[in-house]
Amino acid sequence: MAEVAVENVTKRFGTLKALDNVTIDFPDGGFFGLLGPSGSGKTTLLRTIAGFIFTDDGTIRIGSKSVEQIPVEKREIGMMFQNYALFPNMSVADNVGFGLRVRKVSLAEERRRVGEALELVQLGQHSNRKPHQLSGGQRQRVALARAIVTNPRVLLLDEPLSALDKSLRVDMQIELKRIQREIGITTIFVTHDQEEALTLSDKIGILRAGRMVQAGPPREVYNNPTDVFTASFLGEANILEGAVDGNSLRLTDGDAIPIPKGLKTGATFAVRPENISITTEEPTERDTPKIQARLKQRVFAGAMATCILDRNGSTFKVISRDRDLPQLPEGGPVWLSWEPEHTITIPN
Amino acid sequence: MSTLILKRLGKIWLALILFFLYAPILVMAFMSFNDSQYYQLPFEFSLRWYQDLAGNSEIIAAATRSVLIALITTIIATTLGTAASVALFRFEFKGKRILQVLLFPPIAIPWLITGTAMLIFFFGIGLGRGTPSVIIGHVALALPYVIVVVTARLATFDATLEEAARSLGANSWTVTRRVTLPWITPGIIAGALFAFAVSFDQFVVSYFLSEPGDSTLPVLIYTAIRKGFTPEINAISTIIITISMAVMLIAARFSNFGGER
Amino acid sequence: MSNMLVKQDRLRIFGLLSPAYLWLTVAIFLPLSAMFYFSFLSEVPFGDAEWNFTTDNYRAFFETPTYAILLWKSIKLGLMVTLTSVLIGFPCAYVLAKTIQGRSREALFLLVILPFWSNSLVRIFSWAIVLRGNGVLDRTLNAILPFELDINLMFSTPAIVIGLVHSYLPYVILTAYLALQAIDDSLIDAARSMGAGKITILRRIILPLSLPGLLAGAVLIFVPVVGSFMEPRILGGRVGTYYGTVIEDQFVAVFNWPLGAALSFILLAVVLVILALASPILRKAQT
Repeated sequence: MAEVAVENVTKRFGTLKALDNVTIDFPDGGFFGLLGPSGSGKTTLLRTIAGFIFTDDGTIRIGSKSVEQIPVEKREIGMMFQNYALFPNMSVADNVGFGLRVRKVSLAEERRRVGEALELVQLGQHSNRKPHQLSGGQRQRVALARAIVTNPRVLLLDEPLSALDKSLRVDMQIELKRIQREIGITTIFVTHDQEEALTLSDKIGILRAGRMVQAGPPREVYNNPTDVFTASFLGEANILEGAVDGNSLRLTDGDAIPIPKGLKTGATFAVRPENISITTEEPTERDTPKIQARLKQRVFAGAMATCILDRNGSTFKVISRDRDLPQLPEGGPVWLSWEPEHTITIPN
Repeated sequence: MSTLILKRLGKIWLALILFFLYAPILVMAFMSFNDSQYYQLPFEFSLRWYQDLAGNSEIIAAATRSVLIALITTIIATTLGTAASVALFRFEFKGKRILQVLLFPPIAIPWLITGTAMLIFFFGIGLGRGTPSVIIGHVALALPYVIVVVTARLATFDATLEEAARSLGANSWTVTRRVTLPWITPGIIAGALFAFAVSFDQFVVSYFLSEPGDSTLPVLIYTAIRKGFTPEINAISTIIITISMAVMLIAARFSNFGGER
Repeated sequence: MSNMLVKQDRLRIFGLLSPAYLWLTVAIFLPLSAMFYFSFLSEVPFGDAEWNFTTDNYRAFFETPTYAILLWKSIKLGLMVTLTSVLIGFPCAYVLAKTIQGRSREALFLLVILPFWSNSLVRIFSWAIVLRGNGVLDRTLNAILPFELDINLMFSTPAIVIGLVHSYLPYVILTAYLALQAIDDSLIDAARSMGAGKITILRRIILPLSLPGLLAGAVLIFVPVVGSFMEPRILGGRVGTYYGTVIEDQFVAVFNWPLGAALSFILLAVVLVILALASPILRKAQT
């Protein structure tokens, strides 16, 4: 187990900067998510930490050791691949034992450790099966057992759950977290699923176009995004723009909403869809931020409902429990309001 | 780094293999333009062997026969093969698996065996040697290739396209003509070119089935080689190999042979 | 499914399939049966010849050691050509499938496969020009090397092997390439992440996974080489007597068709045994 530190890492593919001066550290024993749209460099970063790709610039440390020059097979990492990459010609036990065999561990020891790893992922009874005889979830467990059986210093997961269907995915998230906690290994995973990243991670890093845009604990990043991209990539955000005028924000169409005190001009504000209430009457509290909009569409999705609203050409989205919503006239004017502390300030 | 050296070595190996595959053919082509009858160097450019060819009525007759046989083979094999492919692809029925397995003997059994067996049978039924026998043999050898290539193309066909056409009111014939056939046309063209190549390059079966003095080009070349090499054989061989490679290059463009397209 | 077919469909299937399979019956399956029948005759049953049923032709194979020796010689030739092709073809297929990327891979692959689809007789002939004494190879090597060297490979077993390898090498490159391409690169990545070196990866991942493809290619080479006669004739000269050339002689020179038929049938039996042994592997290679 070890801490992983990435400092000023740059990687070019031809003229494309896949990683642009990326710095982030992953403290020992934590569970970290790398998140970003496709092409953002998150997989490149993971493969750089693994050692499949060598950096052009910058340092990568695992523990106290600098590893940029060490190829993957010497880096003592464990990796789980998106499609699991189980060797189809080997049984479950041989798959899991592969890394031990390479390290010339004795046969008895190999058998013991493979057994332990399979117990850990609750697959003890399937050790003689071939990968094609397993279900998707079982393959995932084998891949995990195989990645941790050699006691690597860091566990890297490339889109670990993306091949599973939704209900299984939620179970596996819990399972993955349990196993990670149990063995206490530093774990870094890549995902494009923001919910997965928020659920699993102790810390997330958000990448865009090769740059590390923001890193921190999920709640902090979610509540205090440092730019518009992060605000709308991690969760959804209704963006409000205008000019700061004393203690209020004057929107471009003339309306004003109260904002936290002491802000400089030039900031952008955002409100999460789940924090907005819709009412037909104007809210009476004086310092409640409120604006008027027209309901365009109300989409029912079981417990929750999504309302799409229009305000002078810009679209607002509101998510709330369906039964909390009043009867709303489609096309009619409504009021949107939220608690003052839910106005997210994005420093420009 | 060792990975780089290995990669370099691999590419050199590939280059050597390509050299091995093409060098003799290029030497042959080169020599066919050499003036000397005994392949003497220095090289002196000359078209005399090609001119000699033009005056050799035996070779011209054999060449014409070869092309004709190949064309007839192509037409028959492509028609029958396409029909069979459609049935094999479209329908599920008992014995389908066996019918598919039966395509392999013409490909997998050495032509020496097939050729001699045909010779015996055609004599037995009174047909004997000659161009009709050669054509019957060639079509049988080409059929499996056509069926394999066309079926492969059919397998890439999205069946919902037919359903979509039908939902838009097209009847079964219109669907076949306007949707299915246009899609498999490249496969049919590729299959036809394969059939042409199989027939045009076929030596063994032609050798046993063609009448002496009435033979196809490869058989004539074989007889000539056994009498002794002449630059004239070089010239005609160069022409043949150019044609067959060109045919295959075009076929490769129409089938997805060698990569996804 | 099959019992749900309506009558119209049955007619359609029959109409589409029967021409092709009728043709194959007349040109392949009936001739093979006829040859089997013929192999038990004493004489060619045409004209006024007297003939009767006999097993003499098969007995000849077992009583005259020449035939068995030649069959063994042909099998050895087949093994040699197959092994050589696999050894030089596999690395080539590997480079094509795993090292070379993008469009140039497609072009190079086509270039490797192309000769295979050109006239084999002509390609064998081209080797005759290169290999004969005072031929191109001889003169090129003597021009490069400082000492006199008399290479006359023509009319020798190596010449036959070279010619046959040239003819059939693309087969094994094709099948090995397809097998190697089907191996997901992430398997190699996974093995590396577990600390495996190149040799371990080759031995435990790549070879086992490409084995079906390699064996398919080997069978596709071995079978026609055992039955080859044109290549040994042109490149082998006097040492070029093989099982195939003996069969050829029975049909075009000696005119002992029944013996030829029996010898052909024995060869067919050998081929069928090999195909049967390989078929589980071949089936695996297909999927």
